[in-house]
Amino acid sequence: MNRREFTMAMLAGTAAIPLGITRAVGQTKGGTLNTIIQPEPPILVTALNQQQPTLTLGGKIYESLLKYGPDLKPMPGMAQSWDISADGLTYTFKLFPNITFHDGKPMTADDVIFSCMKLLMETHPRARGNFARVESATAPDPLTVVFKLKQPFAPFLGCFDCTSAPIVPKHIYENTDYRKNPMNDKAIGTGPFKLKEWVRGSHVHLVRHDGYYLKDQPHLDEIIYRVIPDAASRALALENGTVQMVQWSDIEFFDVERFKKQANLEYTTKGYEYFAPHQWFELNNRVAPMNDKRFRQAVMHLIDRDAFNKRVYFGNAKVATGPISSKTRFYDGNVKRYDYSVDKAKALLDEMGLKPGANGKRAEIKYLVPPYGEVYQRAGEFLRQSFARVNIDLVLVGTDMAGWAEKVGNWDYEITQNLLYQLGDPALGVARTYISSNIKKGILFSNTQGYSNPEVDRLFEEAAVATDDAKRQELYTKVQQILVEEVPVAWTLELEYPIFYDKALKNVVTTAIGTHETFGVVTKS
Amino acid sequence: MDAVRAFMRHPSGMAGLLMLIAVLIVAISAPFVFPESPWEMIGAPFTPPGEDGMWLGGDTLGRDVAAGIAHGARVSLMIGIASALAAVVIGVLVGAVSGYFGGKTDMVLMRLTELFQTVPAFILAILLVAIFNPSLTTIILTIGAVSWPQVARLTRAEFLRLRSREFVEASLCQGESTARIVLGHILPNAMSPILVVGSLTVATAILLESALSFMGLGDPNLMSWGFMIGAGRTVIRTAWWVSVFPGVAILITVLAINLFGEGLSDTLNPRVSRRRA
Amino acid sequence: MKGAAAFGLAAATLLVRLVAVILLIATFNFILVRAAPGDPAQVMAGQSGASDPKILADLRQEYGLDKPYIVQLGTHLARVMTFDLGYSYRQRQPVLTLIGERLPATLLLTLTAFVLALVVGTTLGAAAGLAAGSVVDTIFTVLSLLLYATPVFWLGLMLVLVFSVTLGWLPPFGYETINVQMTPFQKVLDIGRHMIMPVISLAAIYLAIYARLMRSSIIEVSHQDFIKTARAKGLAGPQIVVGHMLRNALVPVVTVAGMQAGALVGGAVVIETVFAWPGLGRLTFDAVLQRDYPVLLGIFLILSVVVIFLNLATDLVYRLIDPRMTTGAA
Repeated sequence: MNRREFTMAMLAGTAAIPLGITRAVGQTKGGTLNTIIQPEPPILVTALNQQQPTLTLGGKIYESLLKYGPDLKPMPGMAQSWDISADGLTYTFKLFPNITFHDGKPMTADDVIFSCMKLLMETHPRARGNFARVESATAPDPLTVVFKLKQPFAPFLGCFDCTSAPIVPKHIYENTDYRKNPMNDKAIGTGPFKLKEWVRGSHVHLVRHDGYYLKDQPHLDEIIYRVIPDAASRALALENGTVQMVQWSDIEFFDVERFKKQANLEYTTKGYEYFAPHQWFELNNRVAPMNDKRFRQAVMHLIDRDAFNKRVYFGNAKVATGPISSKTRFYDGNVKRYDYSVDKAKALLDEMGLKPGANGKRAEIKYLVPPYGEVYQRAGEFLRQSFARVNIDLVLVGTDMAGWAEKVGNWDYEITQNLLYQLGDPALGVARTYISSNIKKGILFSNTQGYSNPEVDRLFEEAAVATDDAKRQELYTKVQQILVEEVPVAWTLELEYPIFYDKALKNVVTTAIGTHETFGVVTKS
Repeated sequence: MDAVRAFMRHPSGMAGLLMLIAVLIVAISAPFVFPESPWEMIGAPFTPPGEDGMWLGGDTLGRDVAAGIAHGARVSLMIGIASALAAVVIGVLVGAVSGYFGGKTDMVLMRLTELFQTVPAFILAILLVAIFNPSLTTIILTIGAVSWPQVARLTRAEFLRLRSREFVEASLCQGESTARIVLGHILPNAMSPILVVGSLTVATAILLESALSFMGLGDPNLMSWGFMIGAGRTVIRTAWWVSVFPGVAILITVLAINLFGEGLSDTLNPRVSRRRA
Repeated sequence: MKGAAAFGLAAATLLVRLVAVILLIATFNFILVRAAPGDPAQVMAGQSGASDPKILADLRQEYGLDKPYIVQLGTHLARVMTFDLGYSYRQRQPVLTLIGERLPATLLLTLTAFVLALVVGTTLGAAAGLAAGSVVDTIFTVLSLLLYATPVFWLGLMLVLVFSVTLGWLPPFGYETINVQMTPFQKVLDIGRHMIMPVISLAAIYLAIYARLMRSSIIEVSHQDFIKTARAKGLAGPQIVVGHMLRNALVPVVTVAGMQAGALVGGAVVIETVFAWPGLGRLTFDAVLQRDYPVLLGIFLILSVVVIFLNLATDLVYRLIDPRMTTGAA
């Protein structure tokens, strides 16, 4: 249906849904959740695309074996129980019975093994890194999955949320070209919501999956993700109740204070613990002058991170000190500090021979502006001013989502800004940015800046397979110290994105992935 | 000169000229009154006008709106004049050839001109800038490429008119070359209306450039008035001054040019009725 | 020429003009794609498709990019005449479908603004012209001069600032209020409310132009000898005189309106961006961001066609004003 028909249907639908029908004590059944997805994802299959909008939306459609509580401890997902052998090499998951895909076919251990060991290995860089450690995956019975690792890998249990290892139907994807599979448009998963309709440019309509294996879920009847490209329109939509929930950068940072005061809205920064978004200016280590460590250190001195936080992010962040976020395990703040000092920056640049030329400029560098919203443009403008103080011309270059992904993935950039998720454990979310083995052309969120240090590689690998937490801390402390000295990328902030939701909604943020969760437990009164 | 004296007696034309001079003064004095780059974030975001030394307030990043307007004046004027020049060069070329040679050449060129006048100029501008990537050069050339038809029409009309005049006939008899006749005899006499339409084109060029910048198709490294309005659009609730003042600047500048141009037209071509096309 | 024959000829002329313009613009698009940086396949794939070598290879084959230019042009024109405007890899839909979805909203905005500007503009201009020299006339001239110098998108923003943010009378963005139950009649009113500011912003500048033109036109016509004579002789009643004056004065205004149609359509694109109006303007903005060239080229073609139809409308108004005008005399 087109936009107009949809609105008509919406009006009819709202009238038809009986409100306030309760199931058990305090539980409300039914209701429609209207929210926003920004920018519009290119595809909904999270196995094939892991950009934020895809994951936010796809989390309702695709599930995995586990979920993680706010303290990052594992909870049941599609696996009702799990077991780790004493030597830390064998992981056994027992699945819930009667799990069905949205097309009615049952989900079994075979689908799990196909997804993790075959499909995701090809399409999901994070999953590939995780499951490459698996020696064998077997299904002794349809409801049991056994992973045997090559070496112990303490964070392995942290690899199974719906954003890291979404399970897809083997019967649809086996022996096909995954990316071109026509069923991608149908997005068949096992989540509590299934795709009813996607009117591009307007909305994505999810409805309840009646065969969901947890009989009392989902409570909501439907979720509608509205596409509203205009930031001012999004703010208006939240203000007048057109949408009841927003996350990430749906609302501009400068509006956060205003919405905190809105009576019908609940505000929280919880729900991002698994992601702990970590931001930096990415310096392509292959291109001069970024290939010189002194330049990169100068960049650290050049950026007034406090001002950056206040001006561009309106205080919705914490200054980062290195590659690991203070919210992630094994963080150590005991590293070299780069205070804001234009003089120190100039000294470093002079030392490396990058002196002002005939026109007074030391260099001209191109900056690729990520197209995720105006705040990225402003960050670029902030950086340009910072560079201007040391007579470096930063030229801002714009592009679109696909273009940015392509350029960065293929190393066709000089400086850009990047934001990565920490995923709870440095072995899962941090190492991938700095190890040589993850320098992979064409893959986003890998070691795209091309940094390579064998010592760092060794430390990360050792820490991954170590089983003792104290030992892991020791190794991670060392690697943080080395990285902060070498500055492969210029870390800026640990962002604290808001989630706003209408007080009528309950159980919106129950896990460490917040609004990316399946939403089976969300109720609306 | 008679023309200059006549112009000085034209009230609205003089008003336009004075306003224009004011704008020029702002543009020229910008680097002295606001020595820091307009991109410098000197204050707190969303500073209201009058506070913190920012007479017109601060924008989303705490940049001085007044500095932006002053420096933006240079950008707008420069792009406006350069684009108008480009449009005039192309237009005069097409119009002169068309009007002088007549016949098939005229027909073909006129069809081409009509085509360019039919298509929506702004859309064509967007298309060209998007394809060739926004930069100062592409913007100037693009605006020139969509603004020339009017100049061409006018030039052609003038050339048709002048070509049949006696002095041209005389020159032809004397065997003077085409180039000499066109450049030496016809063009100088056609200069007045061309000058008028040229100056009015500067106004449309400034409006076009601001619209392109507003849509995000401007040169991202140039602080222009259109860019400021575009950047202020999303914060119009919290900081109306970021969008209002740059717009006023455009209004004053374009109005000034229009008044000046009309004054010019009245004094130089009193017989030509003021048709706004 | 009377009746059916005249109509037939007019229709035929329009058709020929339409086809000619479409072919010319399609040719222009063809040249543009090949003049653009990068190879034509990349341009046609847009930034989205260009990252996939398989798509590029498919495109090269489908569009015969290795064949001689004249063959390519022929195929391209043939495609356009069969309504194939290419494919958007970013939005995964044919360009014509995308444009078709958004065109109605744009037409609603553009046509309303066009009619408003013409009708209100000429009325105000006539009134000012008839009251030439008075205070009202001076105010009128000043206002129209100001409006003519105002950037259309800024005017839109100022209207939002005053009527939405400050006074709260009108909704600032969008096409309709969502999530509220409405009868069809209420729905029409709702869309109407949302249309007020975009239409006024778009129409205002052209309104000023037509008003000023009408004013000077009326003044000119009223000085014409036969009018004075008719008046002096008491031969014609006031209505006939005024009616006659108006009809003659309208002629140059209508001509200019036709010539301004392109600018009006261009203005609609910007206004849609300001007001998040779900029409072609929004599509253009996104296509620019995404470097989705097939969409941009398609929009350019379709909007040129819209302009031709607006010109047709002004041609018809000509006929209404002065049935003596023959076809093509414009």
